Amino acid sequence: MDRRKFLKQSSLASSLFFVPSFVRAFEEVASSKLGYKRLVIIQLSGGNDGLNTVVPFRNDLYYKARPDLGLSQNEIIKLNDEVGLNINLTPLKRLYDKGYVSIINNVGYPNPIRSHFRSMDIWQTASDSNQYSQSGWIGRYLDNYGKQAHSAIEIDDSLSLAMKGERMNAIATKDAKTMYNLSKGPYLKNINKHLADEHLSEHNLGYLYKSMIAAESSAKYIYETTRTVVSKKEYPNTKFGKQMKTTAQFINSHLETKVFYTSLDGFDTHVKQKGAQKRLLHTYAESVEAFVEDLKANNTFKDTLILTFSEFGRRVNQNASIGTDHGTANNVFVIGENLKTQGLYNNMPNLGDLDDNGDLKFEIDFRTIYATVLDKWLQVDDAKVLNKTYSQLNFI
Amino acid sequence: MKEKHIQHLYRRIGFGILPSTLQKVAAKNKKQIVNDVIKASKTCSVLEVDISEIKEIFGGMLMTDTKIDNETRRKLQKISRKKQIELNVSWIDRLVNTPELLREKMTLFWANHFVCKDNNIVYIQNFNNTLRTHALGNFKDFVNAISKEAAMTKYLNTKQNKKQKPNENFARELMELFTLGEGHYTENDIKESARAFTGYSHNLKGEFVFKKRQHDYTDKTFFGNTGNFTGEDIIDIILKERQCAKYICTKVYRYFVNDQVDEGHLNAMTDVFYKDYNIENLMQFVLMSDWFYDDKNIGSKIKSPIEFLVGLKQTVPVTFKNKKQVIQLQRLLGQTLLDPPNVAGWKGGRNWIDSNTIVLRLKLPSLLLNNAYISNVKAGKQDALMTQKKEQFKKKYGKRFNTQTNWNHFEKHFKNVALQDMDSHILAQPVTKDAKSYLQSLAKLSKHEYCIQLMSLPEYQMC
Repeated sequence: MDRRKFLKQSSLASSLFFVPSFVRAFEEVASSKLGYKRLVIIQLSGGNDGLNTVVPFRNDLYYKARPDLGLSQNEIIKLNDEVGLNINLTPLKRLYDKGYVSIINNVGYPNPIRSHFRSMDIWQTASDSNQYSQSGWIGRYLDNYGKQAHSAIEIDDSLSLAMKGERMNAIATKDAKTMYNLSKGPYLKNINKHLADEHLSEHNLGYLYKSMIAAESSAKYIYETTRTVVSKKEYPNTKFGKQMKTTAQFINSHLETKVFYTSLDGFDTHVKQKGAQKRLLHTYAESVEAFVEDLKANNTFKDTLILTFSEFGRRVNQNASIGTDHGTANNVFVIGENLKTQGLYNNMPNLGDLDDNGDLKFEIDFRTIYATVLDKWLQVDDAKVLNKTYSQLNFI
Repeated sequence: MKEKHIQHLYRRIGFGILPSTLQKVAAKNKKQIVNDVIKASKTCSVLEVDISEIKEIFGGMLMTDTKIDNETRRKLQKISRKKQIELNVSWIDRLVNTPELLREKMTLFWANHFVCKDNNIVYIQNFNNTLRTHALGNFKDFVNAISKEAAMTKYLNTKQNKKQKPNENFARELMELFTLGEGHYTENDIKESARAFTGYSHNLKGEFVFKKRQHDYTDKTFFGNTGNFTGEDIIDIILKERQCAKYICTKVYRYFVNDQVDEGHLNAMTDVFYKDYNIENLMQFVLMSDWFYDDKNIGSKIKSPIEFLVGLKQTVPVTFKNKKQVIQLQRLLGQTLLDPPNVAGWKGGRNWIDSNTIVLRLKLPSLLLNNAYISNVKAGKQDALMTQKKEQFKKKYGKRFNTQTNWNHFEKHFKNVALQDMDSHILAQPVTKDAKSYLQSLAKLSKHEYCIQLMSLPEYQMC
């Protein structure tokens, strides 16, 4: 882009801040009518124990494998005669009853890897388990379809691999104001002002100048657009609760961001699992319920899809420390208003047919979920982002 | 040798050169300087943190043990996490102060070539020193040593690679990432060579163990040769391919010379390297060649986060009260030593830069060295409020980064540099026209304040 065109566009963007509010209100109506679809990804880091999240409470094999860890009938909340949710997910059950939740069981990939780093890497890059990719799936979505860096935002201090593309990276921020303050300052502003064409040419230094201008304009845009929208909703006072609150604030201020990325850490429950998982699932479900209500109150829920995943599930058998070791397939939650398949998307895993390690054999490749979301929700060419064509599912 | 060329040389084989050092070597010619650089790296000082705690635990166990109980494992992991931070910080300090400059820069290069990570500090440290030991040695010995490192046999599952159940992970990455590059082998080559690496394992101390009973002694067919090959045989066969020399030279060229590869120069390098795979000879050839000093190569590369941090510390020494912040900073900048994203490593180049990292990089020199203050007082005026502003900023930002700076070191080494000549010592590229006109409109209060102004320019990100 030449400099004149660039300045024209960025000054155009910044002049929008001064357009009288009624015009902007009109614009918001227009854009919400058009349906600005957003995706929110929640990563449960450490490997959440799926079998104690969505529980087959009539299955003897389950209790046989988990004499101490198996959840009894009063530790679950029933979804039907055979399957229940961990009772700490009660807020999620309320969403489930409204038809907002689709639970996809037994999601994984061929030749599963049981290392946290590597398996998370596979989920984030959407690669095969014997391939290594330096770009993430959302990053490649940005490469192909992102308009600005802030087309995707991770609510954190630094970016996950999922959010890094070949040419473009998302933005990481926990707090729009801090980022804005960091990006400005009279000195840098003046350097910026003194720019001439040569900086924007194609060599590396030009690239730095361009990145500097884009960063400043994104930081300013995010801050100015979101600062007046304050969520009145109560969220759990945890790091994750805050992340979800910030995400809601960003969405409800109609920020032009297609993908938000958040994460909840601590699911690596090798030892005394029950207490640890209880606390985490509770935080998760309460935050998500608050988030959904917050969006509903602002009429943005219908255009938001929430995807929750973990890098792997855990071993079917409990271990000697009343915890579980790293396993394979797991459940994925899809949350949204107009789901095609509400409730349980497919059957529970077969505990009678395990692999050599005593782990679940996956049924649904996680990339078919990505492909579905890319194609049907974000409405882009999924093969371009995933570098391969996958069959699609039917939940949206 | 021209000052500008000496500075370029040192920015690439190290992290820049202080004016006082430059003054000392300026009278020498290219051959003398390059020879001195290579000579200084003939020795190899290993990098170690105190791991006696772990040795004590190991001491109480039999070395033939392969299983450790859960409690011991957790204890080991806890100590390892703490020690890994120490090792990271000592590595950064080492990079700032080492006399074995080329060796250390090469070690950094190889750490993003033979990419590996682990959670056991003993294995991490061994691996790191193997990179250092072989950094300028023979590439064949290097690949063999890497294939036998405990951390690597864990990371790429050679440990699980057994005759009855081969695991192809190491064999695949050996060819794809370590020696040939994608597309220069077949899936069958991977299958066959994986069988040659069966039996590779290690003991608790991290020493290589060859498990004969797990090794597949039957014939393998690899790159058209058939025989009862061992892992070492496979590496021999791979290195016979000129593509292997070319692949390594491409990476060296991108790292030390320019992101854009010149085919002619690459061919010349490959000729040199293919002869004997001697890394030191290859580097001598690159550093002695005229094209290395071409204008288009000078200041053309974007610094990696580590190059940025170490260069900064070299000019103005800065220490962190809280060591964890050294790690946090690397994470925010996108490159944490000893913690690569995956075996493909960091992409580098323009990929270091995004909205978050560019903003942070431009602000960090002032944040770390000058209480977040960058003077912008107009020429001809005094910055009367500077001291107060700095105090104010210190209260506001000091909580975030509690650092101690040594500006005396800077004053001492920049003593003989005139204020208007600072640019060429701080920056690898001349200041762009418009940034220059802005700088000229500002008061030049002192070398110290001017240094911060220069370091806050995008130009400072280049090397």
